[in-house]
Amino acid sequence: MYLVDTVRDIQDMARGAVLLGTGGGGDPYIGELFVTAQIKKGHYPKVVSCDEIAPDAFVLSIAGIGAPTVIVEHLVSERTLRELLARSEAFYGRKIDALISAEIGGANSMFPLALSAISGIPVLDADGIGRAVPQLEMTTFSIYGARATPAILMDDSGNVVTIEAANDRMAEELCRVISVAMGSMAFMALYPMSGKQASEVAVKRTLTQTLEIGRCIRKARDTSSDVFADLVRYLNSWDGRTARILFDGKITDVVHETRDSWHWGLATIQALSTSKDVCTVQIRNEYMVVRINGETVTVVPDLISILDRESGEPLTAEMLRYGQRVRVLGYSADPMLRRPESLEVLGPRQFGLDEDFRPIEVLTAAR
Amino acid sequence: MINTALERLRLGIDVGGTNTDAALLFGKEVVATAKSHTTADVRSGVIEVVTRILERSGVRRDAIEAVMIGTTQFVNAFVQRRDLAEVAVLRVSLPKGDGVPPLAGWPDDAARAVGEHIYMVGGGSYYTGQDYAQLDEEAIRRAALDARARDLRTVAISANFAPIRPDLEHRARDIVRAVMPDALITISSEVGGIGLIDRESAAIINASLAGLGLKIVRSLESAFRDLSINAPIFISQNDGTLLTTETAALLPILTCSAGPTNSIRGAAFLTGLPDAIVVDIGGTTTDVGFVMGGFPRETTAANYIGGVRTNFRMPDVLSIGLGGGSRVRCIEGNWKVGPDSVGFRLVEDSQIFGGSELTATDLAVRAGLATIGDPSRVGHISQATVDAALENIQLQIEDAIDQVKVSPAPLPLLLVGGGNIIVARPLRGAAEMLRPPHAEVANAIGAAIALVSGRVDKLYDVPTLGREVALQMAKEDARAAAVSAGANADQVEIVEIIELPMTHMRKGATQIKVRAVGPLAALV
Repeated sequence: MYLVDTVRDIQDMARGAVLLGTGGGGDPYIGELFVTAQIKKGHYPKVVSCDEIAPDAFVLSIAGIGAPTVIVEHLVSERTLRELLARSEAFYGRKIDALISAEIGGANSMFPLALSAISGIPVLDADGIGRAVPQLEMTTFSIYGARATPAILMDDSGNVVTIEAANDRMAEELCRVISVAMGSMAFMALYPMSGKQASEVAVKRTLTQTLEIGRCIRKARDTSSDVFADLVRYLNSWDGRTARILFDGKITDVVHETRDSWHWGLATIQALSTSKDVCTVQIRNEYMVVRINGETVTVVPDLISILDRESGEPLTAEMLRYGQRVRVLGYSADPMLRRPESLEVLGPRQFGLDEDFRPIEVLTAAR
Repeated sequence: MINTALERLRLGIDVGGTNTDAALLFGKEVVATAKSHTTADVRSGVIEVVTRILERSGVRRDAIEAVMIGTTQFVNAFVQRRDLAEVAVLRVSLPKGDGVPPLAGWPDDAARAVGEHIYMVGGGSYYTGQDYAQLDEEAIRRAALDARARDLRTVAISANFAPIRPDLEHRARDIVRAVMPDALITISSEVGGIGLIDRESAAIINASLAGLGLKIVRSLESAFRDLSINAPIFISQNDGTLLTTETAALLPILTCSAGPTNSIRGAAFLTGLPDAIVVDIGGTTTDVGFVMGGFPRETTAANYIGGVRTNFRMPDVLSIGLGGGSRVRCIEGNWKVGPDSVGFRLVEDSQIFGGSELTATDLAVRAGLATIGDPSRVGHISQATVDAALENIQLQIEDAIDQVKVSPAPLPLLLVGGGNIIVARPLRGAAEMLRPPHAEVANAIGAAIALVSGRVDKLYDVPTLGREVALQMAKEDARAAAVSAGANADQVEIVEIIELPMTHMRKGATQIKVRAVGPLAALV
């Protein structure tokens, strides 16, 4: 168990969450500010590991759902989060023992911490995917047997909708429609689980990972150490996981467009050296695949991050601009995401790519 | 020489941290330039430089048709937390947003400097433009009464989705004004686009500077009255366009990065090259930026002003600690120039002026790149030292150019600023290097050639309107804004369009940003 008791810690966690957001997931900045305001008042989020949670404990996910341009206006209401907690306990008929993030990459890393700070309920050091994904049902929770519903959605005006969906894919559809009606921004409680189930279906230690990634980047920057060497060393220190710098260059073209409400895009990066190598990163809300001279070097669900070449700051897809000097980082996904049953949901073909999943270790072995 | 009795001239002035520069332009011709030191009161430095340029050019005062001034005084005041007013911050957002109050992300010293007088009241809009809660007029009145009781005189007002519903902030302002008739009030929709926190922070910074803005603008106006120059005065803003003095006094934050912008625009003007790398070498720093289509390339990520995040667009400039006044020293056998500088004490401390500090300008004089001060005083410096130190200058600038260059295509490089003499040979990374005449006052020239602009940053209902109609509406809004700021309606051009679709929603609006610019109607 530990407390997130400094503003610097929450800033580090937000930076780490952007990296794990693999280009999407929403900006954690607003959630970071919420927690910052609480830390300044002496209300600290509490993080507990999966070993510390009782098997019969009641664990619940807290998430925001909505459009990035809306959350930066509507922000987050403390009253709404408290109300969501009270409504959830009444609805599920149980006291909540721990919160868990459904998606550690991006904005949804922050909301369980925000609720923890104001309620004292701890957050499990784990999440439902270890990265960011574009749809609610694309989680290890769903893949390994937990159910997204019954769930509650609510907005700041007192509208509350409870959902029992036939399946989690349908839960996603219903939540989108309801959140649009709520002004394209809502908060929800979902994935009710026991402590035992949460420990089985969650990707573990990811909250700590955001903190340590953010800290690693900040420290390297403060000490003028090589931020990329430090980062790769840190990421490789995780058992069974591999991080590689895939490319170093300047963005020479970025195409953004909206197709079927998803953010589609393609970033083209040219090598800085005299080499003629060209790297492309395909975007569908998140970074989906990195190709160098047409050959895939990392593909979803392995993680892809694009970082500012000087500061090591991770960049979201919306931040990519012509002319930025960047490094592309590839990181093998948690082993849970690479099992056959996970790849059926999270594999490249699920995102419209015409290829099968191949691990980064294999794809980069010859490089 | 032109017939100054008949012609109409524009006077550009740049009030920098160290120098106050002036340039007098007739059409596209630079008639005269002058340089002077910046003074703490701003006013006397301006009077000094204008007096000099009038003497030098012999033009009649009534031939000056417009005065354009660029200054970094306001932003410097905020960065140094100096002369800031305490601000009553009124946010219209409840029941939304109470968990992320105003000033949440501010450094403690900045939050303390503006006081922590926060009022959150009911009201606000969805992105669709519909109210999600009624404006709580009574709560706004109570907030204003409390602010008045605390003796506050400046107010910042923000509201949820104010870029789409500015009327919410206008109404709140009317209510506050009824209670506090003399208050200086900033509303967020006048200083920023979508993103409540960043826009609100800009409004608070602006409010904290409004008193100072008024004071400096009034002092500049009185300076020109005393100089018997009756031409209208304009203030440069970040994007290289002009504000009236009334607007600048109320919205000083819009001027915060006018200095680099004016240098970049001035460099493009002097060379006739609309696309180039611009290297502006001053006394203490070198700014490397880009001009594209005659305007500076702007940053895309969030900007920080004095440690506070805002969503201002500013020229994308890399500053390094290298200038004409940079100290030169040998560390472990390697000659290093900067990052510290003798600054405005160059004329006392550098060796060519009899001082004891070795500066970059001393090297330039020793190498025969410039003839100022007394060259005999630097004759003792060995050729090897000069070569090594000048090489260090080259490498530092070349590295900065390489860091900000956006494309491998070779662009021309424009070298400007008073410190440009420290560059000995063409800089790598550029197709060619140009040192235009009047390079040392490019910033004042940039002020003199400024245009007027209008911007729009709103969400448009593209699925309903259709993309073409939405873009057309946005362009018209931007044009109208430019004309109302003083541009000639016939010559307004759309110079930038950015569309950001709202993702994550099946049906959604598109955020459209458009900028229009045109010449001042008064000068056409």
